[in-house]
Amino acid sequence: MRKLIAALDNSLAAGSVLATADCLGSLFDAELEAVHVGEDHERIPSSEAEAAGVPLRRLTGSTVPALVQAGEADDVVALVLGTRRLPFGGRPIGTTAFEVITSLLKPVVMVAPDAPRPKAFRRVLVPLEGTLSTSLAPKGLIELARDATVDIVLLHVLDAVSLPPFTDQPQHEARAWCDEFVARHCPWGVGHVGLEVRLGRPEEQILAVASEVGADLIALGWAQELEAGRAPTVRHVLERGPTPVLLIPVHLPNEGQEERSKSWNSSRSLRA
Amino acid sequence: MPRLLDLVAGSALDRRFEAIVFDWDGTAVPDRAADASSVREAVEALCGAGMDLAVVTGTHIGNVDGQLAARPTGPGKLYLCLNRGSEVFAVGEAGPELVERREATDQEERALDAAAEATVARLAERGLRTEIVSQRLNRRKIDLIPEPEWSDPPKARITELLTAVEQRLRGAGFDGLRDAVLVAEDAARAAGLPVPKVTSDAKHVEIGLTDKADSARWIFSELWQRGIHPSQVLVAGDEFGPLGGLPGSDSFLLPPDPERAIAVSVGREPTGVPKEVMALPGGPAAFLALLTDQLERREGGDLPEPGGDPNWAISVRGFDPEHERVHSSLLTIADGVIGTSGSPVGSHPAARPRVLAAGLYTGDGTDADLAACPVWTRLDGELPHALRFERQLDLRTGLLRQRLGRKDDLECLLFSSLARPGTVVLRAHGVRRLLETERPLEPAAGSVVTEGLADGATWMRTSAGAGGVVVAAGEALHDERLDRLAVYVPDPSAVPDTEEALRRLEAAQALGYEGLLNEHRWRWAERWATADIRIEGDDELQRLVRFALFHLMSSASDAGEAAVGARGLTGPAYRGHVFWDGDVFVLPFLAATHPAAARAMLEYRLRRLDAARAAAAEFGRKGARFPWESAGAGVDVTPSFAYDQSGRVVPIRTGELEEHIVADVAWAANAYAEWTGDEEFASGPGLELFVETARYWASRIRVDRNGHGHIYSVIGPDEYHEPVDDNTFTNVMARWNLRRAADVSRGHIDEPERRQWLGLAEALVDGYDPERRLYEQFAGFYRLEPLVIADVSPRRPVAADLLLGRARTAGSQVLKQADVLMLHHLVPDEVAPDSLEPNLAFYEPRTAHGSSLSPAIHSALFARAGRMGAAVDALRLSCRIDIDDLTGTTAGGLHLATMGGVWQALVFGFGGVRPSAEGLDIDPRLPEAWDALELKLQFRGDPVRIRIEHEALEIESEEAAAITVCGRPGRRFVRDAGNWKEARE
Repeated sequence: MRKLIAALDNSLAAGSVLATADCLGSLFDAELEAVHVGEDHERIPSSEAEAAGVPLRRLTGSTVPALVQAGEADDVVALVLGTRRLPFGGRPIGTTAFEVITSLLKPVVMVAPDAPRPKAFRRVLVPLEGTLSTSLAPKGLIELARDATVDIVLLHVLDAVSLPPFTDQPQHEARAWCDEFVARHCPWGVGHVGLEVRLGRPEEQILAVASEVGADLIALGWAQELEAGRAPTVRHVLERGPTPVLLIPVHLPNEGQEERSKSWNSSRSLRA
Repeated sequence: MPRLLDLVAGSALDRRFEAIVFDWDGTAVPDRAADASSVREAVEALCGAGMDLAVVTGTHIGNVDGQLAARPTGPGKLYLCLNRGSEVFAVGEAGPELVERREATDQEERALDAAAEATVARLAERGLRTEIVSQRLNRRKIDLIPEPEWSDPPKARITELLTAVEQRLRGAGFDGLRDAVLVAEDAARAAGLPVPKVTSDAKHVEIGLTDKADSARWIFSELWQRGIHPSQVLVAGDEFGPLGGLPGSDSFLLPPDPERAIAVSVGREPTGVPKEVMALPGGPAAFLALLTDQLERREGGDLPEPGGDPNWAISVRGFDPEHERVHSSLLTIADGVIGTSGSPVGSHPAARPRVLAAGLYTGDGTDADLAACPVWTRLDGELPHALRFERQLDLRTGLLRQRLGRKDDLECLLFSSLARPGTVVLRAHGVRRLLETERPLEPAAGSVVTEGLADGATWMRTSAGAGGVVVAAGEALHDERLDRLAVYVPDPSAVPDTEEALRRLEAAQALGYEGLLNEHRWRWAERWATADIRIEGDDELQRLVRFALFHLMSSASDAGEAAVGARGLTGPAYRGHVFWDGDVFVLPFLAATHPAAARAMLEYRLRRLDAARAAAAEFGRKGARFPWESAGAGVDVTPSFAYDQSGRVVPIRTGELEEHIVADVAWAANAYAEWTGDEEFASGPGLELFVETARYWASRIRVDRNGHGHIYSVIGPDEYHEPVDDNTFTNVMARWNLRRAADVSRGHIDEPERRQWLGLAEALVDGYDPERRLYEQFAGFYRLEPLVIADVSPRRPVAADLLLGRARTAGSQVLKQADVLMLHHLVPDEVAPDSLEPNLAFYEPRTAHGSSLSPAIHSALFARAGRMGAAVDALRLSCRIDIDDLTGTTAGGLHLATMGGVWQALVFGFGGVRPSAEGLDIDPRLPEAWDALELKLQFRGDPVRIRIEHEALEIESEEAAAITVCGRPGRRFVRDAGNWKEARE
């Protein structure tokens, strides 16, 4: 039986983490297990687990290695943990969360402490850059969502460079463009997913659209690198957004080189 | 003799050819007395199997037909090119029929006599006795060795003969055979023959007006007109190698581009063969084996090899799931009735094969969608991974070839017959498991079909709106070859019966694969003969232009009505809806190259004239108001809102306000009439169109207190600004419409109404400032924020409305596409003289080209203004819109209007070609980098070829055709101080 692990600490985030994990368990068709590292400071984890009727396993050792080891078990499909201990947006990602998501080679769901406690997932927002890594990353989730009748909303954010140069008749052009984008970057979702397209900064548009469409979860593929200057979108969404974020690690060879090759725009154009 | 297959395996002969051009004496037969019955049987069988054959020889019909006596029944043709380039006969069941004969003038006859006599005399001066032995058609033959021993030497003694002749000539002080030929050439010129054709077979010297090269030119030209490329022709002879320092007589058979020809010599060839000729010594027996081998290949169902010219092919190598739908669109094959995507024949999740039928819609109103038809191209086998896969579309013949893996894994050829639209053919060779299919047709995804079997054929029927489509298909699997044939019968007005599809299928099956292939190829060759454009000096552009022309020609039926949607039959984007794209951008190409298709496009509009009248009445106007976006019923199907590519909801008001479409339809009708001179149309349905559109404008124009006419609240081609008042494009087109209607309707409508039109035309404001020589795009345009594109984006094209936002764009001078400038392109006589350059200078920097229609128009205008670098750049961009998928929507179909714009840029822009009631005028502009531009057109029913070089211009057409260059009549011109001057003979 597949398993989903909810990592509970003794903070306000525990309840949201557990509720989120419970909904995710239905989506992944996985059994839920709560874990807490250490024997101390377990009042909140214990009470939340008991209230939810979920067994709580106590892990020993240092927090991050213990969580990573638990997550690496073969039957574990994902780990759910709090982004940080305290609410209030704009705060950095907590140390534990930072180290777990950059170490564990499995999907990790990050839950903000002030995230509402969902009862069920109805809608998942899946941003796609139009690159191979971000396209492949959510494939499994999209296929699961289809069976679980969860709405998948894809999001692609254009910028001045990637903006298609021609609008022709917008009543048709946008549809044709979107159809091909989905066929190209989410072929396993054709006929089952919607696509939102925005112009602007990806990190801002992801949060805006998540709010707009009422997304219960945001799914992002990423390379697990959070050093300064890396993964700005992931960082911004985790730091600023209330919506849980499923981070799906993707590591592809020559990942950097594919970016421009996927640009919609040819280098051939009239110079202004 | 070893088996031929053992000798040719792996060589250039190990393939099927489409035609064989061969020498007679020494190649097909050992001598003129030999029994030729085996050759006859082989020739007749090959013609029956669809191959074309041509004999090229120096002798006359009596000798050749008397010996060969073939009576082929077709579909392949047999030609006899005789008398050393002077005659051509076509041979059918009834025998030979003269096709062409070069007739010498009396002066030429006398010159030939004089040349021969002078040659004999000059040779005699040095003691060499020679004799004039025959006076054949257009030539004289001199015997260099009139001795009994050499009276009739067989081919086998050629080496001895040559030695004897050379000895004889040297003995008289000549430097061999070559010297004798030089004497004859010199004598011929002195006798008044400017280009004598002098050859020798060692025994004789022949002085003539023609030679075998003329035969070769004729036959290769004829084969080209039948869709056969020189690389698909086998040339066979026995004397290619030099003889006595002179070219071998059969070397004249090689086409002008020798490295592309496949040539074989079956002769002894004592001095060897040229590098481009294969040696297969064995004489007529070897030649007969070649014929037999070719027959076996045809009977075994071998596929034709592609023509070898890369300027006529679009290839896709490998399989890229991400871009597969783009590739499928690019490789679409269509015949004006149906279009089939170029998807792989094997299955793959990323491949989405589709078949669309012109004018067949499902749904109503804004939901009207081009119906998807059952698919005929699928084989059940799954496309194996990681194998070589190549698809090639031959633009010249409309054949789509697919090769998978090694040569014998799978190879197939598909085409959509231009000769019988709606009929499609697939032949595949390969491993049996890839060829086996459960059924030859597959329903389109999500469609509902009824199906059945009848007389060994499978049929499927699907409804679409009030009509539907029936497809009947049959297939045969022989060992490792599959033949599949399908016939589509679409009808938008009623669901067709299966009988018609089955009947047409039976007729196609009776003709057979080779017959269907031949007639399809010939039809494509016919179309190219009046549509091709050659650009010498830019191979990349050449290929891209032909790509555009190919899809334009495939897009419209030439019977009944032709609804040409924005993407034609190449894809479902834009739902098959018809816009001004068809009338203004596509129709002119068809009017000038295949008028029947242009007429069918106009018929689409004419059959919806009542709907247009009703629409006008709904707006409280008179006449006819054609819809901005049209489908089956002819009512407006423009939605009222949409999401743009940045996700914003945008109101769509083009259906309500973009009214220039009314004048655009009239313009298209006028273009058709000017190119064709179709009086019946002009005085009948065309007249009705002009009258009704003029009535619309007359009811639309508001005249103010000062007597100025206005058209308020419209959208022009520049859709960034809406609504606007007095859009110059709309006003000037309306003015043109009124004037033209008044002109053609004289005597047909009441004079007061006609005068009213003229008065309104005169009153209409057009925003022209004669001091600045500028047209203001619409009232108040100059007051907008004076942005140019360089202020907004470092590159173009750019979707400025998405980048800046609609509100700011609407408040600025940034344009989506040519608007004022479009007038200079469509109706240059309606705009002020010398106003192109100031308006180009003003509007072009403000143009975002947010419409894919725009760059090609600018290319044409840049060319007219002499800005050749910009013209070529804009042309190249237009040509690459689909090839490079610049819009991101080529997967949904190709941009037909852009392709029409490419043609217009070349013909109207660079060629400066303008039709009118008076005739056709040409005022070319050739870019420095091009060596020549050649245009093929059809004007008033006659083919026209225009060749433009930097210093010369040549026109080929019927003498009576009124064609001028910068107003001057003539056919050959040269540059003289920057002007064109008729060339002297």
